[in-house]
Amino acid sequence: MSTQTKSPGITLDYVKTVGIVNNGFNGRGFANPYDIIADNDGRIFVLNRCDPARASAIRIGICNLDDEYLGEFGRGNGSGDGQFTWAVAMALDSHGNLHITDEYNNRVTTYSTGGEYVTHWGNTGSADGELSGPAGIAVDSADNLFVVDQNNSRIQKFSVDGAFIATWGSFGSGDGQFNLPWGVAVDSDDNVYVADWRNDRIQKFSNDGQFTAVFGSSGESEGQFQRPTSITVDSEGFIYVADWGNERVQVLAADGSFQLILKGEATLSKWADEYLASNPEEKAERDISNLTPDLPAHLNTPYHISSQTEPYFWGPVSLTLDNQGRLYVVETNRHRFQVYQKR
Amino acid sequence: MMISNDTALMAHLLRRAGFGATRNELEEYLALGYEGAVEALLHPSEPNNMPDDLIRRYHVEQSELRDLPGSAAYWMYRMVTTSCPLEEKTALFWHGLFATGYAKLNQARSLLNQVDMFRRSGMGSFEDLLVDLSKDPAMIVWLDNNENHGEAINENYGRELLELFSMGIGNYTEDDIKECSRAFTGWTLGNAEYMSIRAAKDSIWPYGRIAWHFDYRDEDHDDGEKTFLGETGNFNGEDIIAIIAKQESTAQFVATRLFQFFAADEITEFGDKAIQAMMATYFSSGYEIRDMLRTLFNSDYFKSEEARYARVKNPVEMVVGAIRMAGSYQNPALGIENVSRNMLFMGQGLLQPPTVEGWHEGSEWIDSGALVERVNFVAKELSNVKSPGVRSIIDRLEADADAGVLDPVGLADGCLDLLGPIEVSEATRFVLVEYAARQGDLDLKGHQQGDEAEQRVGNMLRLVAATREYQLA
Repeated sequence: MSTQTKSPGITLDYVKTVGIVNNGFNGRGFANPYDIIADNDGRIFVLNRCDPARASAIRIGICNLDDEYLGEFGRGNGSGDGQFTWAVAMALDSHGNLHITDEYNNRVTTYSTGGEYVTHWGNTGSADGELSGPAGIAVDSADNLFVVDQNNSRIQKFSVDGAFIATWGSFGSGDGQFNLPWGVAVDSDDNVYVADWRNDRIQKFSNDGQFTAVFGSSGESEGQFQRPTSITVDSEGFIYVADWGNERVQVLAADGSFQLILKGEATLSKWADEYLASNPEEKAERDISNLTPDLPAHLNTPYHISSQTEPYFWGPVSLTLDNQGRLYVVETNRHRFQVYQKR
Repeated sequence: MMISNDTALMAHLLRRAGFGATRNELEEYLALGYEGAVEALLHPSEPNNMPDDLIRRYHVEQSELRDLPGSAAYWMYRMVTTSCPLEEKTALFWHGLFATGYAKLNQARSLLNQVDMFRRSGMGSFEDLLVDLSKDPAMIVWLDNNENHGEAINENYGRELLELFSMGIGNYTEDDIKECSRAFTGWTLGNAEYMSIRAAKDSIWPYGRIAWHFDYRDEDHDDGEKTFLGETGNFNGEDIIAIIAKQESTAQFVATRLFQFFAADEITEFGDKAIQAMMATYFSSGYEIRDMLRTLFNSDYFKSEEARYARVKNPVEMVVGAIRMAGSYQNPALGIENVSRNMLFMGQGLLQPPTVEGWHEGSEWIDSGALVERVNFVAKELSNVKSPGVRSIIDRLEADADAGVLDPVGLADGCLDLLGPIEVSEATRFVLVEYAARQGDLDLKGHQQGDEAEQRVGNMLRLVAATREYQLA
């Protein structure tokens, strides 16, 4: 189901889907997942932003590719130690700590991957080191943290414990300027990529913030974006972008040239299979349904199509790679992630 | 207090065709003249409402639109920020008339798609609107048309289409209902059986809700001959609607319901003249709702003193009007779903009308509990001197006052003016002036956000919100 250029330099094979909607306050499944990280031990961390009805259960769930739900951690909704209001994104440092942004509380909270609350840092404001709506976060090879300071239209660089190092960017649409940026990624050479969300483009910087390239423009064509949210870059330099407004993923080569599009091809996860096995009437009707229908013209937008087409990405808000070349795409509106293998 | 009749009339129009108006909005419409303002309202352009991308980024619940509170809040944002208020007002009118509710559907996304359809078709031809309504998947499930089969009809939709959505009881026979229902067999939604099970079980599994779309099943349609309201043919749904649309009773029904929503709760002899004129427009325009509304808004009745304050504001008008006046919730904010919940406490939950008959409007909005909710909500919004709209009122009061000083009459009249203008009884005005007089003249020179002088304005606005007149549109 991927759309590819004539001779793309990359091939991605669909592997599987993991997840199910969790309507409660704990346990297996996800609740409006917003970010995902895979560690080197095969653990997958999923940040559940949670809707207001389930806000008290905002948490990080842990699972693996064998569909085992390994546990979860968090201290609920609020501004106390270890709590979140609008959690956005996570970065994993070399010490095994997760740094999690909260765009409402204007701070970064650190947990160990074992679920121990470590600390939080950040104050509201626009001075150096202060935050207004921290969104994406990424870590480089020296354990520096890059935080997208969305309402201040800038990127800030911190030490792993939150000491301010540098900042760049201003509001606008010129080179090095931002309009409500969201995601950030660091490649193997420690270059920094920013999903310049409301400018519909990706910008590339050196580690110290020198502008080096810009990719994409507004639109639905190949290489164009509608509100890109998240980026990840593999060891060969391929750039993977969650093209959220177009409900798809795009892969670019290191020079920004378009490679391929993924629209999503979710299948039933193990947890979904188990649900349907215990609800045979529902399963019987589902089995004879067409879940990729043709829609009337007034519903012919990426958002509406995905709202009715269950296999497609719907709200692909973040993506990440593991050390085996697997791509994970997490969908906030479908409470699952799809896994692809780079060939 | 002297209020220019042009200003008072424009404020009246904007309370009915919109959600009231800030002074800036009022001045913009006044510059168009009355008939120009009517045309601007009747021809919505770019609504400039809060963009979906911003809403979806911060509100995951409004990105998914799975649950009722977030979905109602999503519509709230639209009503609070639109620059085309009649578009939303008309959608709200049809939402109340073609009342479809969450409780049976468990499918908020499709309800919002229905509201979108009201925006798209709600000011066009009534015939086209009924076709769109009959193809609306939320309506299909709401009134069981997915259970209406060629071999075995289900009359629910056919019956309500005639009784509640067009002609009204007494204008057709039981046989007409059966024939009408036969014509709508095969009008269903995609994957109807699976979607029905999910709706009945309120299933969100495995991956959240799957929104709905219309599907026509030719093999399930009864294509046989039908006799409906005296006409015979192999009618399909569109043919039935064409016959419904040309009935005098349909014109009467549509005109009356529009009148009661936009003009007055009670129909007087004078008001009935406007209804008759709207019926004439219905036929002369080819059933165009926009033209009927133009006839209404430009009628002598609508512009008369009799029509002023002749409606009790419904809770949506109360809440959205207060928020628009205060200028709050202009950006995605925590707690917007609590605002829509407040409307439910006042008796009008968006996307959850109590029955297929919709809400009982008029004085039934005001029982004692609802009245307390109404006053408390508006008072809280209007007394928040940090809100941009309230700050704008304070700045205007200062600018209009002699050397920035208002006497008690000036404070009371100034607040009534800038919140409307609202025309109040002498008794009401006396109470407001007496309240203001307790602290003497108000000196707004050099006022600072939240200081005592500003709070006095906030308190006066709070008191106006509690008046009888503020409850009326």
